[in-house]
Amino acid sequence: MTLLIDPVLDLPTGRVPDPEEFIAAAMRWHFSPETGSPYWLERARTLDFDPRRDVRTFADLRLFPNVVNELRNVPVRDLVPRGYGTSPHIVGVYESGGTTGAPKRVPLLADWADRFVSWCAGYMDERGHPRGAHWLAVIPTGPHIWGEMVARQARHRGGFVSYVDLDPRWVKKCLAEGRTEEAERYAAHVIAQAEFVLDDQDIGVLVTTPPLLERLARSERLVELVNDKVRAIIWGGAHMDPDTRDLLRTEVFPGVQLFGQYGSTMILGGMVEREGIDDACVFDPFTPYVTFSVIDPESGKEVAHGERGQVVMNFVSKSGLLPNNLERDLATRIAPLPGQIGDSVADVSPVPSFDNEAVIEGVY
Amino acid sequence: MEAGHGGPIPLDALGPRGPHRTRNRQTVPDVTGRPVTELSLVPRLFVQRSLAALRKAPPLDADELSAVLARAGEAFATGTVGGVPADAYRHRVSRVTGLPVSVVHKATEHIAHCAREVFHTVECARPRGTVSHWQDPLTRRGTGIWTRRGDVFAVHAAGNHPGVHALWLEALALGYRTAVRPSSREPFTPQRLVTALRESGIGDDRLVLLPTDHTVADDIISGADLSLVYGGDPVVTKYRSDPTVLTQGPGRSKILLCAGEDPAAALETIVASVSEEAGTACVNTTAVLVDGDPAPVAEALAERLAALPSLPPEDDKAVLPVHPVAGARALEKHLLEHTGGGTVRLGGDGIVEELGDGSAVLRPAVIQLDRADAPQAGMELPFPCVWVAPWAPADGIAPLTNTLVLTVFGGDEALIERLIAEPSIRNIHLGDRPTHWMAPGVPHDGHLAEFLMRSKGIVRSATAGPWREG
Repeated sequence: MTLLIDPVLDLPTGRVPDPEEFIAAAMRWHFSPETGSPYWLERARTLDFDPRRDVRTFADLRLFPNVVNELRNVPVRDLVPRGYGTSPHIVGVYESGGTTGAPKRVPLLADWADRFVSWCAGYMDERGHPRGAHWLAVIPTGPHIWGEMVARQARHRGGFVSYVDLDPRWVKKCLAEGRTEEAERYAAHVIAQAEFVLDDQDIGVLVTTPPLLERLARSERLVELVNDKVRAIIWGGAHMDPDTRDLLRTEVFPGVQLFGQYGSTMILGGMVEREGIDDACVFDPFTPYVTFSVIDPESGKEVAHGERGQVVMNFVSKSGLLPNNLERDLATRIAPLPGQIGDSVADVSPVPSFDNEAVIEGVY
Repeated sequence: MEAGHGGPIPLDALGPRGPHRTRNRQTVPDVTGRPVTELSLVPRLFVQRSLAALRKAPPLDADELSAVLARAGEAFATGTVGGVPADAYRHRVSRVTGLPVSVVHKATEHIAHCAREVFHTVECARPRGTVSHWQDPLTRRGTGIWTRRGDVFAVHAAGNHPGVHALWLEALALGYRTAVRPSSREPFTPQRLVTALRESGIGDDRLVLLPTDHTVADDIISGADLSLVYGGDPVVTKYRSDPTVLTQGPGRSKILLCAGEDPAAALETIVASVSEEAGTACVNTTAVLVDGDPAPVAEALAERLAALPSLPPEDDKAVLPVHPVAGARALEKHLLEHTGGGTVRLGGDGIVEELGDGSAVLRPAVIQLDRADAPQAGMELPFPCVWVAPWAPADGIAPLTNTLVLTVFGGDEALIERLIAEPSIRNIHLGDRPTHWMAPGVPHDGHLAEFLMRSKGIVRSATAGPWREG
């Protein structure tokens, strides 16, 4: 079976495959009866095109329907390409946030985890993040992929992780039901646990979400602890507006490297914030495995560079195929780095909701 | 400092470290839709840090505060503040809110007057059984001392009328460190007043201006000890059960003309109550109740109000409010859909007079209703719009309740006693006093200090402490 693996799908980290060769190899892999996953082989029968024949470039990925909603009930085993043989190394099954009904599930295969983590380790080295550090991750673990990836990133760079776990679904539920006080108490409970670790341990890297970072920044004592000990803060899992980012970088944690990851379970990882840009938070994807485009949701057409639109993500690797996924995020389309496929994105924010313009009585 | 031919000028947040410009900005247009300013909206983190700074700052002592407030009020009304002369400021407020510039002028003088009088005003609210300072000799035999219920006070301000900003000066005078969240409709007045206070030496960490979008608005309230929030009925309902929030809702001010009173003699006061302040204030009369035939009153009112001119807001002779055409049309539609079975004495053909530049004057409306408890009589709209209904003693005082200001012409003692005892009527004016009459020291919706202060018991023995008698 291994003979069927096209080497272009298995290049070592640091070598970027030729885009068209890569797409062709990926289509052959995912849609050949010998190597494709049961899910995609079955799904291909309902497509009005032949992926192996018609999908030749990254732009052609737009031919695919957005299938992520089907991942709520597909047996996870059916998502693993047959080419991995009878005992694939599945690190775990991970789920989306689960804000709208049942969560979407994906299997994390060991080769993708290794590939993604060595890419992350590469840029952390370039930026001089501490090696061998004690990390503190105040993030969702359990069904969420982030905890697993952070453990691997720390280990890969000679470090180890303390966790404070949290359940984002509970928080979202509280907020949706208007129980903001309960969400607030929960955040306080999480931060109190983090305080013990920050107090007693020599934490070099802090991983958390923007709302928790904001919550942490309320305590002068915690801010001091972080500024004393932590050399890099990695944030992700939620949006951070540019003004908050600016305050955190310049006023709250001026001596700490602060950088964001824009992640999604549907790309089995995250993109990294481009270094050295003050006025915008630009995310670059792990090309060519993760690619973005930014479209006008009305017309479906790509917006111009510098314009805002809705983010479309593609995940294409040996371990899986999740193309043409329209996320509920808005972002500015940014020109890619040299050699990168698709676009980068900046200043990601949720799709806004508008107040209605009904007349409210009264003079105020 | 006027926008001139360039783009809109930015209006910064005023944080504990000085002015702060954000990337997230909201365009504030004038009544024609032309952008006038870009308001910097601060994120939650900035709110948190600002409130923390307020909490840390010690209050100024009363003498210093008194001087700062008086100086700032004067500069606000007549001087150049943040580089903006008073007339440029008034013009801008007038163009953005559509309030007649003369109303803005009066409001700025009112604010300066309130700033001068603020210590007298809060002193009017102090319970007689309390002293202000613990070294007062009365504390030796035991008394009350008037103290703050907290340190940090927040205001969600309204943008309908600059005059609302006179009120929070009382919190400053009582030593509260204060955060003002301006209305995005009219951020200029609080920005100017905060700037004037800062230029007069209040201290940047004692008074901040925090424009935010609605997602962060509640963080200001939850981070402050006590808050004052302006809004419509939904806002009042939202905070009803929160003891740290005082709401200022619709005024639904009314005039009662009792039997035997001459409507002609009261007409001047009624016209003024409906139309002064361009009908935009909570103290403007929303309903007139007449013991007798309401028709002659409604007709006379309609005749007088019909004569008011339609002018652009910055015209010195303007007296009516101006809105963008779309907003004006929406209000017109809302009004005409809700007149019920009323007889429209003025405004039946519409209340919108377009000025041709994208803005429109909201002209007065007079609607006569056939019963005292018609629900429309409680509909308060931001222009001179008045409901005239019959009332008889048999109707009881229910139609007169839920009222910020009630002016009563005539009436027997029993009626007046009942109205004074009624908790939902917050001010009573007897006789020829319009509903918009106000004076420092006279409560507006209770004294703000009733909400901000409490009496604490204090007694000291002759041997107490190392200090000497003060």
